[in-house]
Amino acid sequence: MWKDLGDREAGKLRPYSFSNRITSDRIASLQLSNYKEIVSPHRGAVNSLQVDLTEGRYLLSGASDASAAVYDIQRATEYEGGSLVAKHKSIFVVDKQHEHGHKYAISSAIWYPIDTGLFITGSYDHYINVWDTNTTQVVVNFKMPGKIYRTAMSSLATAHMLIAAGTEDVQVRLCDIASGAFAHTLSGHRDGVMTVEWSTSSEWVLVTGGCDGAIRFWDIRRAGCFLVLDQSQSQLGRRPPLLERSAANKAPMSKSLPASQSVNVRPRAPQKKFAYGNGSKQSATGRTSSQAKGLVRQRLHPGMLSSQDRATAHYGAVTGLKVTDDGMYLLSAGSDSRLRLWDIVSGCNTLVNFETVRLQASKAMQLAITNDSALVFVPCMTAVKAFDVWSGKTAMTFRGHYEYVNCCWLSLQDQELYTGGNDRQILVWSPSRLNFDEVDHGSRKEPIHAQDQDNWSD
Amino acid sequence: MRSKLFRTLLVVNLDQLLSLSVGFRRNQPLPAPAAVASILRSKAIEFLEKWNTSFGIHYRQLRLGFDYLKNTLRFQFPNLQANAARIQQERKEREMRSKEILLKKFETLKEKFSSIKEEIQSTMDEIRECLDIVRPNDESFRSSELRQIRLDSLKEAEKVHENSDNKVVFDALRELYKLLVTRHLVSAQEWISVLIRVEVADNRSRDSMLKEFIDIRNHIQSVKKKCEESGCALANTMNDEEEDFWEEGKIELSESDSFTAANKRSKDLAKASTSSKAKSEAPECSNKESNGNKRPGRESNESDSTSLRSKLLDEAPLMNWGSFLDNWGSKQDVLANQRGLELEGHWGRVDYDAVIPAEKIAELNIQTTVYKEERVDIQPCRAPLSKGGLCQRQDLRVCPFHGPIIPRDDEGKPIHENSSTEEITLDLGSDLVEQLAKQAVKNVRDRDKEETKKREYDKQALKRAKLAKVREHNEAVLREAAMASTSRSEAFGEDLGATNMDKPMARNKKQTLASMLRKKITTKDRLGQKLLNTRVRDETIRQLTLGEDANYREAFPNQW
Repeated sequence: MWKDLGDREAGKLRPYSFSNRITSDRIASLQLSNYKEIVSPHRGAVNSLQVDLTEGRYLLSGASDASAAVYDIQRATEYEGGSLVAKHKSIFVVDKQHEHGHKYAISSAIWYPIDTGLFITGSYDHYINVWDTNTTQVVVNFKMPGKIYRTAMSSLATAHMLIAAGTEDVQVRLCDIASGAFAHTLSGHRDGVMTVEWSTSSEWVLVTGGCDGAIRFWDIRRAGCFLVLDQSQSQLGRRPPLLERSAANKAPMSKSLPASQSVNVRPRAPQKKFAYGNGSKQSATGRTSSQAKGLVRQRLHPGMLSSQDRATAHYGAVTGLKVTDDGMYLLSAGSDSRLRLWDIVSGCNTLVNFETVRLQASKAMQLAITNDSALVFVPCMTAVKAFDVWSGKTAMTFRGHYEYVNCCWLSLQDQELYTGGNDRQILVWSPSRLNFDEVDHGSRKEPIHAQDQDNWSD
Repeated sequence: MRSKLFRTLLVVNLDQLLSLSVGFRRNQPLPAPAAVASILRSKAIEFLEKWNTSFGIHYRQLRLGFDYLKNTLRFQFPNLQANAARIQQERKEREMRSKEILLKKFETLKEKFSSIKEEIQSTMDEIRECLDIVRPNDESFRSSELRQIRLDSLKEAEKVHENSDNKVVFDALRELYKLLVTRHLVSAQEWISVLIRVEVADNRSRDSMLKEFIDIRNHIQSVKKKCEESGCALANTMNDEEEDFWEEGKIELSESDSFTAANKRSKDLAKASTSSKAKSEAPECSNKESNGNKRPGRESNESDSTSLRSKLLDEAPLMNWGSFLDNWGSKQDVLANQRGLELEGHWGRVDYDAVIPAEKIAELNIQTTVYKEERVDIQPCRAPLSKGGLCQRQDLRVCPFHGPIIPRDDEGKPIHENSSTEEITLDLGSDLVEQLAKQAVKNVRDRDKEETKKREYDKQALKRAKLAKVREHNEAVLREAAMASTSRSEAFGEDLGATNMDKPMARNKKQTLASMLRKKITTKDRLGQKLLNTRVRDETIRQLTLGEDANYREAFPNQW
C-alpha cells in the first residue's frame, strides 16, 4: 500500500489503477464488521437489499413481513460499547400498518436509479408500489397478474422510466412510472419469471431468467426476444478465439493462444482458460463450428427458431442474474446449484466451473459483482461465497448468517458488502480496519480493547 | 476463551460450533444419548451467554449467534447477568431498609436516651442499696452459722434465705437483678449494636451516646457481678427450685406437691429422699452454663462426666455393623465416578464436579429395620398338681386347668402382691411421703416391665375401664394434693392407699397419668432453663466480643 502510494506520487501508477488496486485490496479483506451494525426492524426474511446508486448512502431493504426499511449507512444513529460499535437504525419502515403497505412479503425493493426520492417495492400481493421516500406515501402502484418475484430499473436509462417485473405469470411486464401503465408485455417464457436484469451497456436490453430454466434477452424496442442462452452452446474462456473462427475449423487450441493474448484486454485470462479448459478441450473444439453457425443465424433472425427458442440455460429455474459492469458477461445462478458465466456477445456458456456447493432453489437470489468483474458474491445457503469470476475458485467465504442468505449487495463506494438472510439479519461485511486507524485512536480506546486481550491469569 | 487468538479463530466458524454443540439445526441434531446431549446443549447455551457478556462487544459473530438463539429460536438462556443484577438490587434494597430501620431506632433512642439512662441508673441504685443492706448481714449469717452446711448442700443455703429476716430485701434484690439482667443489660447491648451499625450525619452525638452506653453496660456488668458475688445464693435458689421440679418428675405428683409445701415440716425427710441427688446437684447449680439438667431419671451418685456418658449411651441408637458406619455423621458430599461411589483404587479420571450431595447420601443410608417380635417370657402356670410337682403349662393369661396365671411361690401358693404392698403402705402410713417416694422409685424402675405387662391385658377391657379409672384417679390425686398440707393427710392417706391399690392396673394407670402430667411441667421448665442458659451464654459471648470491639474503638478512635 505504501509502495503504491509512493508509485502514485512518483507518477509511475495511473490514478485509475491506483484506486483500483486499493479497492480490490479492500474487497479482498472483507470480513464481518464488528464496528458497523444494522439494526434490522424486520420480522421476516430479508429478500432484497440495495444501496442507492446516487449517493451510496441509503440502504433499502425489503423483507418477508411485508416491510421495507431505509437505513443511513454513513451515519450511525447510536453507538454501543464506548463508540466501538456503531448501530444504524432504520430511518423509516413501511410495513403492513401503512395504509398503502403491502399485504404479503416484499420480494424486491429497489431505488429509483436517478435519485433517492423514489423507491419501488414488488410484493407477493401482486402489487408494485412506487413510494415517495420523503413522504413515505405510495405515488403509483401497478397491479400485476401474479406474485412478483423481482423488479428492476435500468441504471442507464435516459429515455424511459420502466420497471421490469418478473412475476408468477409467464409474461414480463414493463411498467411505466411516467404514465402509470404497462408499456410492454414481453411473452416468451413458459413459466414464471424469477429474475430480471437490465443490461449495463444498453438501456434497451433486458435480461430475464425464468422458472423454465431459460435466460432471454429482450430488446424492448422490438417484439420478442433476440437471444435465448443455451447451456450446451459453450466456449472456452472468456471469448471465442477470433483466429479460430476466421481460420480453419479444426485449429488446435494451443495455436490460438498467442492470438487471443493479443486480442484480450486482460493478459492473464488466457492462461486461466488454458488451465481449466483442458478437460473439455475435445468436445469444445468440436462444437465451435456449429455454434458459430448458430450465432450467425441468430443474428440474422432475431428470435424465433423454435429449436433455439426452447434452449435452457439451467436445469430447473434460473434464480439469479447479474450482468458485469462492462456489460459483456452475464452471471446466472440456477436451482440446479450451478453458477454460469455467459458471454453476452456470443451467447455462449464459458464453462467456468464455479465451486458452488449448493444454492438455495426456492427463492430468487441477488448476486453482487465487483466493479472490475473480478469477484462475484453468491449466497450459498447459509454463507456467502466470493468466487473468482474467471476461474471459478472460491476466494472468500462469509459465514455469519444462521439461516439461508437471500441477497447481497456490494457497495462500490465504501467497498462494503451487505447481506440479508432468512434469519432477519442484515450483516455488514467491511474491509478490516487499517492499522493507522487504531493507532490514531489507540489511546482513547485503551480500556475497551484491554477487555479483549489474552487473559491467562486469574 | 482466554486467548484472543483462540477467540478470533473460533468466532469465524461459530455457527458450526453452535450447530454441533447446541444442535439448533433440525437436520443436524445432537448425537445420542439424549441425556448427555441435553447437558451439552445447556452448557453450550450457558457458555455462549457468558462469552457474549464478556466478549460480545468485540465479536459480531458472538452477538449474532446469541441473538439468533435467543430471539429467533427462543432458546431459554440462564440469564446469569440479569439474575445477578436482580439479586444485587434486592440486597441493596434490603440494606437500605435495614439502614432506615436503624436510623429510625436511632432517632427514637435520641429522644428516649435520658429516660433509659435514668431508668437503668435507678435500678442500679436500688440494687446497690439492697446490696448494702444485705451484704454484711448475709456474710455474718453465713460465716457464723451455716457455712459448713451450705458447703454440704445448697438446700441449706435456700433455707437460710427462706428463714432469714432480710427475705424482703432478698426478694427485692432478686427482682431487681432479674430486671437488670433480662431487660437493661439486653437493651443496652441492643442499643450498642444499633449505634455501631447506624450511619448518621452527626457522628459526634452517636459516638458520645455509644460511649455512654458502653459505660452503662460495663456498669451493669459490674453490678451484676457484685450481685452474683454477694447473692450467689439467690441465683442458686431460683435454680434449685426449678431443679427440684425437674428432678421430681420421676417421683410422684402428690409427692412434689406435698414436698414443697411440707418443706419446713419434714425437711429431714426430704433431705433423706433427695440427699443423693443434692450431691450431684451441687456442681450443677454452681456451674450454670453446663447445667446437666438432662440427667437420666436414675438415682445414682455418678459424677457429671459419667452421667453424661450414660446419658449419651442412653440416647445412642443400636445399629448393625455396616460400611456406612465408616462415615457416620459426616455431612460431606461424596464424589461419584462411573464406577459408582468407590474412589479408592480408582485410577481413572476423577471429576470433582460429579458429587452426590450429602442429603442424598443420607437418604441412601437410611437403615432398614426388620420387624422382630418381642420375646415374651411366658410364665409357667406353676399351680400345684395333685400328683405332686407344679403345672408346667405355659399359657398367656389363663391356664385351662388352674385359672388365671398368677405369681406363685415355690410350693405353688399364690403370692398376693397387692395386699402385701398395701400392707406396707398401711404400716408406714405415718411416713406416707417417704413411702410414696420409694414406691415411685420402684415404679420408675419397673416401668418397662409393667408396661409390657400392661400390654398383655385385654385392650378392650382396658378401654372400658379407662374412663372410670382416670376419673377416680384424678379425684384421688386432687384430694391427696389438697390434703397433703393438712395434719389429717396421714389418716386419709390410709384410705387412699387402700382404695388406690386395689388393683395393680389402677396403680399402673395412675402412675402413667401422673408422669404424663408431670412431664408437661418439667419439659416446660427444662426448656425454660435451657433457653435461659443459652441466652445467658450468648449474651456473655456477645458481651465479650462487643467489649473487645469497644476496647478497640476506644484505643483507635480515628481508625473506626
